[in-house]
Amino acid sequence: MRISKILTALAAGTMLTATTMAAQAEGKLNIYNWAGYTPPELVEKFEKETGIDVTIDTYDSNETLLAKLKAGGGGYDIIVTAHTFIEVNAKEGLIQKFNPKDLPNYKYLDKKFVDPSWDPESQYSLPYQWGTTSFAVDTAVYDKPIDSFETLFNPPAELAGKVGMLKGGSDLIAMAELYLGVPLCSEDPAEMQKVLDLLLAQKQSVKVYAGAAALRDQMVSGEIAMTSNYSGQVQRARAEKKTVQYVYPKEGVIAWVDALAIPADAKNLENARKFADFLLAPENAGALSNHAGYANGSAGSEEFMKPELIEAPELHVPEGIKTEPMKTCSPAANELEAQIMTQLMQ
Amino acid sequence: MNAAIPQSGSKRRARTADQSLNRFAGFGTITVLLFAFLYLPIVILVVFSFNASNTISVWEGFTFKWYWIAAQNTDLHKAALNTLLIGGVATVVSVLLAIPAALVLSGRAETGSGGKYLLILSLPLMLPEIMIAIATLILFTTIGLNLGIGNVMIAHTVFCLPFALMPILARLRGMDHRLSEAAYDLYASRWQCFRLVVLPLLAPGIVTGAMLAFIVSFDNFIITLMVSGAGGTTLPLYIYGLVKTQMTPELNAISTGVLLLSLALLSTAFVLTKGRILGVSGMSE
Repeated sequence: MRISKILTALAAGTMLTATTMAAQAEGKLNIYNWAGYTPPELVEKFEKETGIDVTIDTYDSNETLLAKLKAGGGGYDIIVTAHTFIEVNAKEGLIQKFNPKDLPNYKYLDKKFVDPSWDPESQYSLPYQWGTTSFAVDTAVYDKPIDSFETLFNPPAELAGKVGMLKGGSDLIAMAELYLGVPLCSEDPAEMQKVLDLLLAQKQSVKVYAGAAALRDQMVSGEIAMTSNYSGQVQRARAEKKTVQYVYPKEGVIAWVDALAIPADAKNLENARKFADFLLAPENAGALSNHAGYANGSAGSEEFMKPELIEAPELHVPEGIKTEPMKTCSPAANELEAQIMTQLMQ
Repeated sequence: MNAAIPQSGSKRRARTADQSLNRFAGFGTITVLLFAFLYLPIVILVVFSFNASNTISVWEGFTFKWYWIAAQNTDLHKAALNTLLIGGVATVVSVLLAIPAALVLSGRAETGSGGKYLLILSLPLMLPEIMIAIATLILFTTIGLNLGIGNVMIAHTVFCLPFALMPILARLRGMDHRLSEAAYDLYASRWQCFRLVVLPLLAPGIVTGAMLAFIVSFDNFIITLMVSGAGGTTLPLYIYGLVKTQMTPELNAISTGVLLLSLALLSTAFVLTKGRILGVSGMSE
């Protein structure tokens, strides 16, 4: 049928024209990052300095990123992921060694990020942004001094029914473990039963389990008066509502790092290394913090940061407060966490 | 004469029944509530896109700030451009493939073998989208296909095909085939018959199919999430990512823009098909 052939040829032509636009060009860099986490002005600066054309794609969770890498990488040259996923990705051969120590600007890296526990020889990653996870309270609703997770997990009458909690299992459970003195990523069913009991008892006072951005919004609007959240989100909430206060409990806070890594099948390795080096420069690291609202890993970046960010209590852990880094849980621990979340969300 | 009396009586009864259905107690209220439930969230979304606050739920005054921020957002521009490009290609290709498929299927319908082919082509309508997404991802990974945005275009085209096909096929089946026979009688070639007789009659079905295909592609999240590679972020992916991390009225501004685009598309299709796209025959008479 001639008509059919003509139309099919036309369809194939349209598809071919469109797909050739997607071909990899030289001088390209493909980045996969959290939405709203890459400052456009910093990307423009990098493009001007190097002539490299940068494409940024965004994702919504570490699990999405992991799935993408396992399915063949998606053609990305740089990924930004939670430090706990660096270990997983390295073991599975999904990311490659790119020897950050050889980069010219490595000298600016803050000492606490040299050879970290998740990347013992600093071969696979560099810190992108870092922060802590604790909880915040609206002092207009509850103004008594708070120094423990006790207030979050056993809320006083003023806060009952006005509590928000991060719905991600790892965040939720890690805080409960910290409060109970249970090791993070525990594989002991008896210990994890205590965690479940605590969270089930707290559930009566919880108004919402939600994502970080939604909890920040509800805190500002007054729908909730106390919530677990990330330091940067609380800092943003306080900018909107001065009565919001980030709490540093005596039990400590969870520390996390969003790390930069290079996928195993990255096609533009040298460009990726250039970008990693570019981000280590204090002025660029400072610009990154100004945009994202978290601390960075470069020493000397403070002079390039906004004053309100430098002074932000959410970004500076007080002396004597323990920071417990998030851990990469074993399959057995993950299974227990999944069981807890299933029962909690019923 | 007598035979006509019951007929008019039954007509009268039917009309009375119809009127009583229209005036059924509570139907009006239910309709109002239904419209409120459907459109109130959209109204709130649009209103809060002009909110001066940095949060989406606290009103602090009127501003166009978020539209300006969205207009400056290069990531958003790329995502929007990708969405339009993918949607455009998927629409054009799926419609171009749907027309010959519809012609073949309508011909086969007479012999009775069209049903099984139609069933195969309709599978994307019946299978859970997550299944199609995973299957497509596995296929692309297995054959090593990594065209970035091209992967999304191919996946969307396949998924949009039945949506483009159904209205064209319906239009073709409702067509008076004596018209094409008359064209052949007047010595028209198959191409002339198709171009001058069949295609103009199919036009409303093609426009409807194209619109359906475009909307399905424009809205698609699961398949895009699974198969997209470097440079393949679309508006749904970008907006979802923002919901998880940002939550400012910029989201409302972006969504309002998408809403306006959808309305513009619908209005264009409405005018082009003289109202037939919504089943409004009055405009075409």
